[in-house]
Amino acid sequence: MKNHPNRRDFLKYSAAGGVAVSALGRQGTAQSASSDRPLRLGFVGVGDRGSYHLDIALGIEGIEVPALCDINDKYLYRAKSWVEELGHPSPALYGKTETDFERMCETEDLDCVICCTSWEWHAPCCLSAMRNDKHAVSEVPIILTLDEAWEIVETYEKTGKWATLALEGMGDLSLLNLVKQGVLGNVIHAEGGYIHDLRLVKFDPEREPWRLQHSVDRNGNLYPDHPMRYMIFHMDINRGDRIDYMVSMSSSAQTLNEYASHYYGKEHPYAKMAMAQGDYNASLIRTVNGKMITLNFDTNTPHPRGTHRIQGSKGVYFRARGAGGPYIYLDGISPESHQWEEAAPYLEQYTPDLVKNYDPPPRRAVRGHGGGDTETPLRWHRLVEALRNNRMPDWDVYDSVTSSAVSPISEASVAGGSKPIEFPDFTRGKWKTAKPIEIT
Amino acid sequence: MAEKNLRIGFVGVGDRGSFHLDSALGIEGVDVPALCDIDNSYLYRAKRWVEDSGRPTPALYGKTETDFVRMCEQEEMDCVICATPWQWHTPCCLAAMKNGSHAVSEVPIVLTVEEGWELVETWKSTGKWATMGLEGFRNLPLLQMIQNGLFGEVTHAEGGYVHDLRLVKFDPEREPWRLQPSIERNGNLYPDHPMSNIFPHMDINHGDRIDYLVSMSSSAQTLNDFAALHYGKDHPHATMEMAQGDYNSSLIKTVKGKFFTLNFDTNTPHPRNFYRLGGTKGAYFGMRYSYSDRDLVYLDGNEQKAGDFMPEYQHPILSEYNPPPRREALRGHGSRSRRTPITWHRLVQALRNDQLPDWDVYDSITSSVISPISEKSIAQGSSPIEFPDFTRGEWESRPPLKLIPS
Repeated sequence: MKNHPNRRDFLKYSAAGGVAVSALGRQGTAQSASSDRPLRLGFVGVGDRGSYHLDIALGIEGIEVPALCDINDKYLYRAKSWVEELGHPSPALYGKTETDFERMCETEDLDCVICCTSWEWHAPCCLSAMRNDKHAVSEVPIILTLDEAWEIVETYEKTGKWATLALEGMGDLSLLNLVKQGVLGNVIHAEGGYIHDLRLVKFDPEREPWRLQHSVDRNGNLYPDHPMRYMIFHMDINRGDRIDYMVSMSSSAQTLNEYASHYYGKEHPYAKMAMAQGDYNASLIRTVNGKMITLNFDTNTPHPRGTHRIQGSKGVYFRARGAGGPYIYLDGISPESHQWEEAAPYLEQYTPDLVKNYDPPPRRAVRGHGGGDTETPLRWHRLVEALRNNRMPDWDVYDSVTSSAVSPISEASVAGGSKPIEFPDFTRGKWKTAKPIEIT
Repeated sequence: MAEKNLRIGFVGVGDRGSFHLDSALGIEGVDVPALCDIDNSYLYRAKRWVEDSGRPTPALYGKTETDFVRMCEQEEMDCVICATPWQWHTPCCLAAMKNGSHAVSEVPIVLTVEEGWELVETWKSTGKWATMGLEGFRNLPLLQMIQNGLFGEVTHAEGGYVHDLRLVKFDPEREPWRLQPSIERNGNLYPDHPMSNIFPHMDINHGDRIDYLVSMSSSAQTLNDFAALHYGKDHPHATMEMAQGDYNSSLIKTVKGKFFTLNFDTNTPHPRNFYRLGGTKGAYFGMRYSYSDRDLVYLDGNEQKAGDFMPEYQHPILSEYNPPPRREALRGHGSRSRRTPITWHRLVQALRNDQLPDWDVYDSITSSVISPISEKSIAQGSSPIEFPDFTRGEWESRPPLKLIPS
């Protein structure tokens, strides 16, 4: 149903708003007045990933970029030239020190700050934005410690300004819809993970000087947010259910040393440096309603990407990269007993209007890490829509800190010999009454 | 020694026991002097099968649930095959060992850690062993790849027993004991099939050993749902509280820093589970835990089908196994093959040569005690539980499992 080719109609659809994701497809809702004013976005960190987000934003009409911040002049001036290329006013530039984003948040008039720094600055950057009357969107992870998580929650509740992982998306929305429509019955268990061989990236200080240090200092699941974009919404985490406790286990650490030794020689410091992060990590996570998650993490060994499996009371979904599929099996519906069938026809059947009706104007291919698309990603569209309508993004504050808090809690479990660690209820009881995400 | 017939007694000749009996009856030089079952229909079917094979009529036992003790005391046997309900596996093995016979148990060989130690002590004092000598190994080509260093050092493996058994659990005619563990217990109740991959792939008890384990279960709902759907909402099973969570997973760490994820789910609708293994140089993935040519082998940046590595990595015990064809396909619960299962061939060779079977006493117990230890972890809110070292230090010097064609 590609029935709104021009931007005006597109924005009208966008403006439908509301809590349910479905609202996008409905017509006839009044457009809010605020959408006429340009949105003012500031960018903190415009390297690999930040430049990608910047380039997307620059391709959306009605967005201004009055300020940029990066401690790396090369990135900062590249970003400045991208803004100017499009005829926008030259942005104010920040980045004299690592905390110069604070001065930017204090000085500039912005609706939202997009934070794509190295991990340790995500929460400080969000807090600085919120305290200076701006919303904030962080790249993953939004926090590194539970103290930071609580500080974000409390600052949100005090200031009314939010900070979330809004640009993380919710994965395959057809799959989300299929799950929410109960095709698999009640979700009982899900397994996923971030299984991505990043050895090359870890040893590329030119590109990401901060990347290796986490493997040197920490041991746990250091990157939960990509798989959690499925778990949070499929399992109604913080919306009728919440995480109760988790355990985590890591193997020993050896592949990073081997890799360094192979590429830089046996005498290189990295070949002998003690690495805290076990090569393979897995966590088991239980909700108060008795659902379960297996969350895997491995960025150190040679492998194809990981698997995704959702077990419900009426069926199961399974995807393993490289092994065909995705597959599905539905009790009493799939043609052969206990045999997989292709999930594609089901996914197509459950493609929500939200996706079917999304028809943004074509644009030049997006640059930066994640780029290549020639249309504005739906998650960016949804963020802009949320900002224009002054509502919370799909990932709200609680979801975002819950997802990223898996890291420090997994670290505590691993440090305690895989002991179970209680998960904080960041919603302070609001999960009991919060309604699940709806797709249709 | 090779001329003398092997004398094998069978305790439990129902679904699985009758499969083993039929396997044995197709092997020359195997006598079956005694059978034991409390169910007369199984007992007399088995008696007839023995007679049909041209062997002398066996002595019959089964007047009480512990009549296997009398059988072990009275009969002269080289080995007893125990395929009873789970709770009689250890008692049956002990009765055999204490009366001069080796014993082979169906899975699981023990239900408690105490039973595990009792088997070890009895083996040490009598010289008679009890193992899961018929369990075999699911993915031998993968074992061959691992032992040839294809994946470097193994880091992690994941597998499990994920098999929809809801129908079987509600079939008291066939297996009256099957539902009860789901009512009373909560953990990984069936670790041995996936462990047939994991223990040799990870050198458990052979240069490494399990250090500790954590386990977690989801809530229990599907068995009630299934009973309500098939027997009505008022049926006792539709409302009976079930202890066993529908999905269970355990994380199990070795002292050398490897670990594996062991899944267990016999309550929900699904095809069988995948098997995955990763090492410092590559990874392996299969949709099932048995070998398939379509499984994936990933070697640092390069993905191939496992079939591309055949026949070079076919395991020699398989490539050199060429048994004479049998007259009939095998009966009972197992493969409908016209070949004697290689597990039976290797057990008979071990008995003839007075060797321990491929699954030895330590390996068998280590595998099965995952159940009680996982139950303990869950009862303590997924606390880590230390794993006993049944080898008492021998694991350090035991070489990796080497399977030589016999």
